[in-house]
Amino acid sequence: MWGIKEGNMFKNYFTIAWRNMKRHKAYSAINILGLAIGIAACMLILQYVWLELSYENFQEKGDRIYRIQQDRYDSGKLSTQWAAGAYAVGNSFKEAIPEIEDYVKLVQNGRVTVDINHQPVKIEKVFYATVSFFNIFTYPLVAGDKNTALKDPYTVAVSVSTANRIFGTTNIIGKSIEMNRNVSYKVTAVYNDAPVNTQLKPDILLSYATFLSRSRSDQNDPETAWEWDGCLTYVLLQKGAIPKTVERKFLPIVDKFVGADMKKYNSGVTYKLQPLTDIHLYSNYMGEPDTNGDGKTVYLLLGIALFIVVIAWVNYINLATARAMTRAREVGVRKAIGSFRTQLIIQFLSEAAVLNGFALIVALAIVILAIPGFNALSGQSISFALFTQVRFWISLTALFITGVFLSGLYPAFVLSGFKPVEVLKGNIGGTKQSSGLRKSLIVFQFATSLFLLIGTVTVYQQIQYMRKQSLGINIDQTLVVNAPIVGVDSTYLRKMNAFKENLSQYPFVKNATVSTSIPGEPVQWNAGGIKLVGADDSKQKQYRVIGVDYDYLKTYDLKLIAGRDFSKSFGTDNSAVIFNRKGIEQLGFNNPEEALNKRIDFWGAQYTIVGVTENFHQQSLREAYEPLILRLIPDVNGYLSVKTEASQAAKTIELVKAQWNSFFPGNTFEYFFLDDHFNSQYRADQRFGQVFGIFTGLAILVACMGLFGLASFTTLQRSKEIGIRKVLGSSVTNILKLLYREFATLLLIAFVIATPIAWITTSNWLQSYAFRINVHWLYFVIPLILMILIAFITVSFQSIKAAIANPVKSLRSE
Amino acid sequence: MIQLKGIFKWVNSGGNRVFLLKDINLTIKEGEFISIMGPSGSGKSTLLNVVGMLDDFNEGEYNFIGQPVHQLKEKHRAQLYKSHIGFVFQAYHLIDELTVYENIETPLLYQNVKSSERQAIVADILDRFNIVGKKDLFPAQLSGGQQQLVGVARALVAKPKLILADEPTGNLNTKQGTEIMELFKQLNEEDGVTIIQATHSEKNAAYGSKIINLLDGRVEK
Repeated sequence: MWGIKEGNMFKNYFTIAWRNMKRHKAYSAINILGLAIGIAACMLILQYVWLELSYENFQEKGDRIYRIQQDRYDSGKLSTQWAAGAYAVGNSFKEAIPEIEDYVKLVQNGRVTVDINHQPVKIEKVFYATVSFFNIFTYPLVAGDKNTALKDPYTVAVSVSTANRIFGTTNIIGKSIEMNRNVSYKVTAVYNDAPVNTQLKPDILLSYATFLSRSRSDQNDPETAWEWDGCLTYVLLQKGAIPKTVERKFLPIVDKFVGADMKKYNSGVTYKLQPLTDIHLYSNYMGEPDTNGDGKTVYLLLGIALFIVVIAWVNYINLATARAMTRAREVGVRKAIGSFRTQLIIQFLSEAAVLNGFALIVALAIVILAIPGFNALSGQSISFALFTQVRFWISLTALFITGVFLSGLYPAFVLSGFKPVEVLKGNIGGTKQSSGLRKSLIVFQFATSLFLLIGTVTVYQQIQYMRKQSLGINIDQTLVVNAPIVGVDSTYLRKMNAFKENLSQYPFVKNATVSTSIPGEPVQWNAGGIKLVGADDSKQKQYRVIGVDYDYLKTYDLKLIAGRDFSKSFGTDNSAVIFNRKGIEQLGFNNPEEALNKRIDFWGAQYTIVGVTENFHQQSLREAYEPLILRLIPDVNGYLSVKTEASQAAKTIELVKAQWNSFFPGNTFEYFFLDDHFNSQYRADQRFGQVFGIFTGLAILVACMGLFGLASFTTLQRSKEIGIRKVLGSSVTNILKLLYREFATLLLIAFVIATPIAWITTSNWLQSYAFRINVHWLYFVIPLILMILIAFITVSFQSIKAAIANPVKSLRSE
Repeated sequence: MIQLKGIFKWVNSGGNRVFLLKDINLTIKEGEFISIMGPSGSGKSTLLNVVGMLDDFNEGEYNFIGQPVHQLKEKHRAQLYKSHIGFVFQAYHLIDELTVYENIETPLLYQNVKSSERQAIVADILDRFNIVGKKDLFPAQLSGGQQQLVGVARALVAKPKLILADEPTGNLNTKQGTEIMELFKQLNEEDGVTIIQATHSEKNAAYGSKIINLLDGRVEK
């Protein structure tokens, strides 16, 4: 029955499939185009998903590498979650836990400048790293010895691209690099640049020994510091070690070193192991070395892509079974002249294969055409190298095979099940069952479309809400210049004051201020151990701190709800601080006035609260308000923010640049406008919104194509009924009502199914935003109305034609 | 070759049992050419379908070349008719998407005949039916008579022992009908193919070596 000579059979099947396709062009076009859009969308999104899921997979020991993540607690309440924890963690854990084979400490140094051809050039990613870096991570050395590189103070390892940038060659072992025009380092290794899919893309690694020699003092040793955060610690576990077992050993060690202190201050600290490969998608803590992705987004997009393909497969099933009548006779004949059911099933699967095959070719064309657009939309950089990837073809094949079987099998069974005697007589049994299935599948398509539409509306509303909300801080017309690195010495304050003085002479410069943080990014200074003077040690809490000069509140229009701004007229203001509302609440005051003139202990010194500001959005509305202290540091080094007139932006840049170069030579002039900077926090959300919206549109388009095809068939089937009704005196409107009623019912059922699922999903998605819209009934009703319109227009193409047709025609065709 | 003993077939319609075939007893020997006659609804097609194993019966015994069909499973029955019986239909029932050549070839494909052999057989039959020139045409491009010719060719191509023809000339004009009948006669006499045809026409029925008259599902004596 299924012998060696099946090959001949296949030729026959494919011939039939091909001729059928040519004959029923509309039907084939709907199927092919729908499938192609689905497959193309899937392939594009898969590219993105792959990249996101592939983080750190090039690390050869990746399955044994874990990062030690630190949670700090105040009064039993979680206060700060750190990616970069205490400095003593690595060496202390390694000593006490045999399962830890090795560890590496990484400390972010921030950017440096290096002179190339006597011009300062900025180098972004600079870390201090211990020697074990090259043992644990896979960054192959092209020069140097991995056992001795980074061993001594003032030695560095340099990436190939950075080496080429500075020296034009990688043959630089033993050469020295001067950074920030003040310290020289000896190059001990050159390593291959990191691939895209890693959190750690260092341009330069400074030896950790350098860090130690700088920060070690009689009172302070990072190697024993448990209260000093900011050190990324990665451990390499022994083969076969169980992370949970290792984690359990942390507590006693922590207890031994800091247990007593913790009790005294009523605080706590816990440590967890984060698998290296999970960090990119599931970690967003203080001190992350890179902006991370979001697992939720990745899986939501993957879900949408699959939805589109499934909708296209459903189209195939629906159209193929609806069209069964026209194929029934052929089935009957084939059975009578000797075909077995299996052979017929194979035949219909072959047809599905031919259609899917064509869809695949069209999909490839769409992918090629859509790559630039998709890159622009999603911020990805997919290239045609895509087509050289094995996994691309594997997944394409997988989509093809799944498509053929998932969409082809059911119609194949329905069609091959016809009894020859009956169909040759003109009766088709068993269509009730498949029309029931068709209806459920349409409900599925409607429900999916509605779900995606509701999602789109919600995402769009949330983004609008975030962008329109008042921030409580004025970020408009603000030019920001990155802090100088070179020439920050005892003359800095004088230089900076003169610089600001110079600027203020120009009428279009309204204000200028220097601060350690600017709106639009997390406050990097996190200070623990702060309490009211005289309060119990157990009241110590953590606060975010921004060091500011006298002009910060003025420049940023912060609203004081109690007290006053910093002022030079108070000689004591060097020990003054201003809290935000959340900050004084954490101190224990509900009324801001009560907090005024209270003194706080802050790292061994005392400060007086002179003012309280309203809470403001330091970061995007995704983040909650944090307890914040603005501490006056007159000679603070940090961002320079310049408020200017709207019309004078270009002039301001020119002016500031000229002044900058004369006051701070050797520094690169890096500037940006704060509103752009702030809004860039929403870039990921907006992208997600756009991608979501577009792919929702595609899903609905594919569903509508199916609906259109199906409407054509059902209207055709009912043409006789319509004819009789018209002869009996039914109006066109009544006929239309009849035709719409069925789809309307299905749409309403779909709405009932989609609503709770969408409600749960959107609410869940909104949870990740501290400031968010409430899910509103309109977000559900608008998509429903939209969907009703789309569906009715789609169905109308056919039904109006049928309803106004002359009944004589349809009745004669019997 | 064929023995039918006490064959009954009925359908239930609103509590009443409507008999389609009633106590049919028939013996047909190899090489016979039987014509079944009777008015519309007398059960001619049903009887052919039962003999052709496309349709079930409710009661009775049916032996086909020594095999008890009434005891066979669906699958065996299908195997039996597929290798021994060819069908010719009133409405030709050619596959629209296939050419003349491909239509004739299809039964051989289902029986896994080798490619070279298949070509020889189909070429032979095209030649014999004088339709070589039409082999690449599609059914829609042929006249009714030509289509039926292809239908007969297709029924014959797998060398069946028995041909069942349900009103083979019903859609044809007299001249075309005569040609098909002559062809049947020739097949029967020269190749020894057993033929059972159902027909309205006395003239066509006369081609058979034996005529069976049906009325209300019963053989008229």
